[in-house]
Amino acid sequence: MSNVIEQIESQIAKLSSKAVKKNTGTIRTVADGVAKLDGLSDVMYNEMVQFPGGAIGIALNLEEDEVGCVVLGDVAQLKEGDEVATTGKLLSVPVGKALLGRVVDALGRPVDGKGPIDAKETYPVEKIAPGIMVRKSVNQPLFTGIMAIDSMIPIGRGQRELIIGDRGTGKTTICIDTIINQARINKVGLASGAKDFRPVYSIYVAVGQKQSNVVRTIAALEAAGALEYTVIVSAPAADNPANQYLAPFSGAAIGEWFMENGMDALIVYDDLSKHAVAYRQISLILKRPSGREAYPGDVFYLHSRLLERAARLDGKGSLTALPVIETQAGDVSAYIPTNVISITDGQIFLETDLFNQGIRPAVSVGLSVSRVGSSAQIKVTKQVGGKLKGELAQFRELAAFAQFGSDLDAKTKAQLDRGARIVELFKQPQLNPLAIEMQAAILWALQKNYFDSIDTKQVVAAANSLKDYLTTRKADLLASIRNEAKLSDAIEAGLKASADEWKATFAAKK
Amino acid sequence: MRAAKKTKLLAKQLFKLSVVNGAVSAEQVAGVLGWVEKTAPRQPVTLLKLYRGYIAAEIAKSRAIVEHAGAVTDATLKMIEGAMTQKYRRVVTASAKPNPALIAGLRVRVGSDVYESTVAGQLATLSSAV
Ligand SMILES: Nc1ncnc2c1ncn2[C@@H]1O[C@H](COP(=O)(O)OP(=O)(O)OP(=O)(O)O)[C@@H](O)[C@H]1O
Ligand SMILES: [Mg+2]
Repeated sequence: MSNVIEQIESQIAKLSSKAVKKNTGTIRTVADGVAKLDGLSDVMYNEMVQFPGGAIGIALNLEEDEVGCVVLGDVAQLKEGDEVATTGKLLSVPVGKALLGRVVDALGRPVDGKGPIDAKETYPVEKIAPGIMVRKSVNQPLFTGIMAIDSMIPIGRGQRELIIGDRGTGKTTICIDTIINQARINKVGLASGAKDFRPVYSIYVAVGQKQSNVVRTIAALEAAGALEYTVIVSAPAADNPANQYLAPFSGAAIGEWFMENGMDALIVYDDLSKHAVAYRQISLILKRPSGREAYPGDVFYLHSRLLERAARLDGKGSLTALPVIETQAGDVSAYIPTNVISITDGQIFLETDLFNQGIRPAVSVGLSVSRVGSSAQIKVTKQVGGKLKGELAQFRELAAFAQFGSDLDAKTKAQLDRGARIVELFKQPQLNPLAIEMQAAILWALQKNYFDSIDTKQVVAAANSLKDYLTTRKADLLASIRNEAKLSDAIEAGLKASADEWKATFAAKK
Repeated sequence: MRAAKKTKLLAKQLFKLSVVNGAVSAEQVAGVLGWVEKTAPRQPVTLLKLYRGYIAAEIAKSRAIVEHAGAVTDATLKMIEGAMTQKYRRVVTASAKPNPALIAGLRVRVGSDVYESTVAGQLATLSSAV
């Protein structure tokens, strides 16, 4: 009898020690983070390969008798002749809610010293974007908390809105404010227990930035209590170009998990100019043919396949993308800016001139558009802010005329005064997003000419005092604007009563 | 750049001449070497190094190197030869090569494929999984 048992056991042993097949190769050269390999005859495009010492590579160039591969990790310990093996896996990163509040690198490994991440799932870094059938048109708003944007260039969930501008014009600040605003809305919404409330989780991908900037961003998010709803993917300037190239795709995979599981997410790519530069470096070292500005021919595809992954899915969630592009001297016709402009659903253009004049956020209303956002705007914002864009455009035109100093008729003067007040009203300090109901109340007061009698220089102070007044005394009114999302008779009466009362106290104080 | 490309192409052509019925033929190789000596093409050292690389890769494809920690019987080698010949649809000859670092079991290498059923290999996969 024991004989039979032995037979079975030996059979089990045979099965469990089944030989594993690997395909191997050897390193021919390693330079600048790129390894050229001999052998590896079975390797797939984009497959992970295993280097000795734990480093991972990705096969990017498959040639007749050589494989070009970027190395993610320490290249210092690799040498010629080392054995490399295929893994049969495409690169994937951990995903899920366990990543919220964490800082990870391009491979999803924690870099914040808060211990390992307990993620149950992984998603492939490269994934085909959702097709036409599963998409749904964008019609739910995503509030940035920046009045100039929410009222004139509204963004919807699932949209891709480019933030473009020169160095130091406040691009990152807009993105951070938006993330903070999502956190505030999440807190209010989740506390209210409303069944149809959909929180927005954020992913901030820092590519090629200074380490100190990333630290500052993290600190700002933490101070605002937004970190717990945010995942930060960091591939700073000191990271190797392969990681910088991968980080946005890893971030997209993390965002896709939220989208696929019926949640809404926002992803910021800060910034894609540096991403393109990292990709250019890899491509040049891999000896791929280079084109305009020495970028490889597929740099358009690089960004289009990334941004196409932002979508709103039918019956599931959405992924909204805010890519950032840095221009040189406001030149939007350079290669990378034109590429990304043509892929996105609109852009928010930030101007150095405005920024230096103290008009911050320095949004250039004339050059900024949102191609799908207006269907996502809530009714109350449309009611109070529908004409703003036209009024501002007229103001700019007239202001150019007025510089010639000729006598102005009363009507023109009134328009100029009003324009100047709108510009003042849209000034907003950083890290201070405004709730949509507050924006609506202020714009309503503007529409009903409550600011007309106030000196232009006093408008900012007046708006602040109105905000204080409404938050401390009229929380109920604000809540009903938020919940009803349109101007009903009751709300309008409430707004009128509050504005009159505020106006009286404000005038009395002066 | 152009010259390097031409040399590579020539090496590839010479290599194709040296393979008869899917196996490297010693006769053909001798012929190729004789031709290179006689006609003295450009960059002969580069050419021969490339040629050597192609031939070595081709030979490795029909050779199963069996690394082992303990003893390997001729019967095992024969069995591996048979299995690999069938799998790769070409005549594969097996040769043994002791390697105590494997702890126990076998590692068979054919061309760039490696079949591994060693304790060391399992430990490595285990450690990369944790
Ligand atoms: N609304 C604002 N009010 C006041 N200051 C602002 C505002 N927005 C941005 N700033 C200031 O302008 C500076 C540049 O902002 P930010 O870093 O966001 O610009 P950027 O375009 O991302 O710059 P970079 O090109 O370096 O990435 C910061 O010091 C920030 O404090
Ligand atoms: Mg920035």
